[in-house]
Amino acid sequence: MSETLQYIGLGIMSVLNGPELFSIFGIGVPVAIVMLMGGLLTGIAVGATPGLAGPMAMAISLPLLISAFGFTPDALLPVFAFLIGIMKGATLGGAVPAILFNLPGTPDAMMTTLDGHPMAQNGQPKRALRIAQLSSVSGDTFSDIVLFVCAPFLAVIVERYLDLPEKTALLILSISFIAAVMGASVGKGLLSVSLGLIAAFIASGSDLSPRLTMGIPALREGFSLTAAVLGVLIVGEILSTLEELWRNKHALKVKDVENRGAIDGLQRGDIRRIVPYIGRGAVVGTMIGALPGVGSTLAATLSYTLARRRHRAITASEDPQFGTGVPEGIAATEAANSAVSGANLIPVLSLGIPGNAAAVFLILAADSIGGFNPGPAVFTFTENEINPQLVTAFGIFTLMALGNLLNWTVGGSFMRAMGVLAKIPAHYLLPVVLLVAMTAIYFQETSMFAIWTTLGFGVFGFFMRKMQVPVLPFVIAYILAGPIERSAREAFSASGADPWFLFKSPISVAFLVLSLAAPVFLSRGGKKPS
Amino acid sequence: MTNIFKPLVAAAALCAAPFSAQAQGWTPPGPITMYIGFAAGGGADTQARLIAQGLEEKFGWTVIPQQAQGNSGLNLAAELADAPADGTAIGMVVSETLTYSALASGDPSVQLDKFTPLATTAQFQMGMVAMDGGDFDSWDKVTAAAEAGTPIRFATASDRQADMAWHLGQKVGIDFNIVEVRGGKGVMDGLRGGDVDIGWVAGAQSKPVQQGEMTNIARGIKTPLADTPDAPVITELGSDYLLDGYFMFIAPGDLDPDAREALGNAIRAVANDSSTDANAMLTKAFGGAAVVTGEDLDIFMEHSVKDAAALIEAVNG
Repeated sequence: MSETLQYIGLGIMSVLNGPELFSIFGIGVPVAIVMLMGGLLTGIAVGATPGLAGPMAMAISLPLLISAFGFTPDALLPVFAFLIGIMKGATLGGAVPAILFNLPGTPDAMMTTLDGHPMAQNGQPKRALRIAQLSSVSGDTFSDIVLFVCAPFLAVIVERYLDLPEKTALLILSISFIAAVMGASVGKGLLSVSLGLIAAFIASGSDLSPRLTMGIPALREGFSLTAAVLGVLIVGEILSTLEELWRNKHALKVKDVENRGAIDGLQRGDIRRIVPYIGRGAVVGTMIGALPGVGSTLAATLSYTLARRRHRAITASEDPQFGTGVPEGIAATEAANSAVSGANLIPVLSLGIPGNAAAVFLILAADSIGGFNPGPAVFTFTENEINPQLVTAFGIFTLMALGNLLNWTVGGSFMRAMGVLAKIPAHYLLPVVLLVAMTAIYFQETSMFAIWTTLGFGVFGFFMRKMQVPVLPFVIAYILAGPIERSAREAFSASGADPWFLFKSPISVAFLVLSLAAPVFLSRGGKKPS
Repeated sequence: MTNIFKPLVAAAALCAAPFSAQAQGWTPPGPITMYIGFAAGGGADTQARLIAQGLEEKFGWTVIPQQAQGNSGLNLAAELADAPADGTAIGMVVSETLTYSALASGDPSVQLDKFTPLATTAQFQMGMVAMDGGDFDSWDKVTAAAEAGTPIRFATASDRQADMAWHLGQKVGIDFNIVEVRGGKGVMDGLRGGDVDIGWVAGAQSKPVQQGEMTNIARGIKTPLADTPDAPVITELGSDYLLDGYFMFIAPGDLDPDAREALGNAIRAVANDSSTDANAMLTKAFGGAAVVTGEDLDIFMEHSVKDAAALIEAVNG
């Protein structure tokens, strides 16, 4: 126990005692906190801009951050601080255009439009924004606390009870699950995962001559992870949005609201009304977030549906119902979609398995900088010697807690000022984002090959979207391909080259059965595209 | 380089190598790209970056570190072979890259004769490591467990280490389950997690050994290990070969001898100077600087190539 406290202390100190950027009245301001603040404000702005999303901002800023802070372990916390700031800010910011203009800033804010916009139209935009902020930050905070408690325990359990074959089976289960739950159909999910694995197998492996390079010298080190991930996720998205704009010949519709003279701001009794809905939303979001790949849009939809049912049951029929601008509707959605972000880091930190695009970029940052490898080894409480990875993990927890604090305080007033961003036309915005993204990649990789790779993967990502093949399973499989192959190789050789190594323990057999069951039972037959 | 630095370089070169008078005049014709064949942030990478920093501070040269990791250093070798042989491109690898790995890959473009070895910086502190107080914390326990029929999982971080584990096993009659992992850190993570039983580590085990978490049950090098002087050398246990080697800098082949001498001496000056960060790091993590340059280095590399060929022959034949 005292060890845990010691590590918590070290984690907090690693943030507060980090290198100082400047000092105010003789008190040094640590660079990590400045970065967190910068990331948070960027995140809110990005979330409030329709067409941009948190992951996009994380993707573009990552190469720039790495160029600024370098590859030393000292760079880890400031870089993570900025990325976490964006992640937290974007969930908050997404509600702004949803409420003010009926236009979700991020996909998971879709359900916020249902009650947020009517409330704004009724002349209470400030009240709606305030409720969204309270719910979002509460959900996020709850989810973070679950993360702080669960991630270390999960990692310790995995390390104690799972041997190499079981770890391999767990990784197989995770990509199978992601393939099964994402996208229009299981088949397309599996296709996406398979393509990701194939792309990642180029030039990896343990042979002395790199495989599958077709003799192309530039492929000797494989595709750069940054180029592949940014290409598929960001460039592909930009191309596809630009195409949509070009086909529709008009920009996204912005509906403004006029003030009808109602009293704006938080009303007496609002908090008491929304607290139960926040609580339920936070639990739903956290549970869904802990499963890799399911995502915040589902959490928001589920929470909203549950809340509507509950609300209908306990109110009289003449009371305002969901969809007419009731605070409970905003609270249920925003608490749930924000609660996903913290819980999503449980599989990332304890198992190294990313569940959504934001987590992908945190793993990418750790991988690029080095010195921190998300996975069970992070939570090894070593005797005598300090485990620097564990200190970093507690540093990340500290940053998340501080991020919530900032979201509670300055986040609210900043988000209310961001409404103006929704009016930037996407056909001006996106080319600029594309240019900045390509520059950022060149900054990090300093090679034209990386640019071509990014564009190539971008076109690939565009066609995947055209054919409704989900892109995130591709990226997650691309990241997990290395760990899967490595742990399978290690398990195989540790078992004395036993070809049945995956079937020797009940746990690993159970994981494999679940990997087969996931695509079978979660099959949707293309009826309900998500 | 400005004129202010010239006397400094001359002085440093004179202190470091009194017989290198003719090489004093050489200066790099432009910024030096230093390729690093190791993962960013690891011990070897830090070492290389600190040497780069030392070269900049001591000699006023511009050195730009750049990662070129993968395939046991052969990716770096392939990249460096195409770089100009004028002293503006150097790379840090382990001696094993140009000996064992190059031979095993069979690729003619990455063999030793295509490169110019410049200087070593540190020797492997190669130990066979196990958790202290565990079931395998002495060689006797390992052999006893093997006789009792327990499969022993032996972690290795390179093909050469794997071959050496196999060779040793053949000599003593133990069929090890050899598990190739990533770097010495991967070996130690495997030991801590109970995924493997013993493994080779080339120096990173120093801290856990000093703190009593792990122990060296044998050593792969001739000289006793600083942390565990009693650990028996593997040739006493039955191996025909040692598992020794150096971290070292190389340049493309046919480098001008003056440039080779100047670069070698500059690296020596940085690594051996106790006021540099590089020296402090080498002392802390790798048992001190061990610099070999020039003809001595050529002789060592030729020996290593012969040993590597013999090992490959022994394992495959």
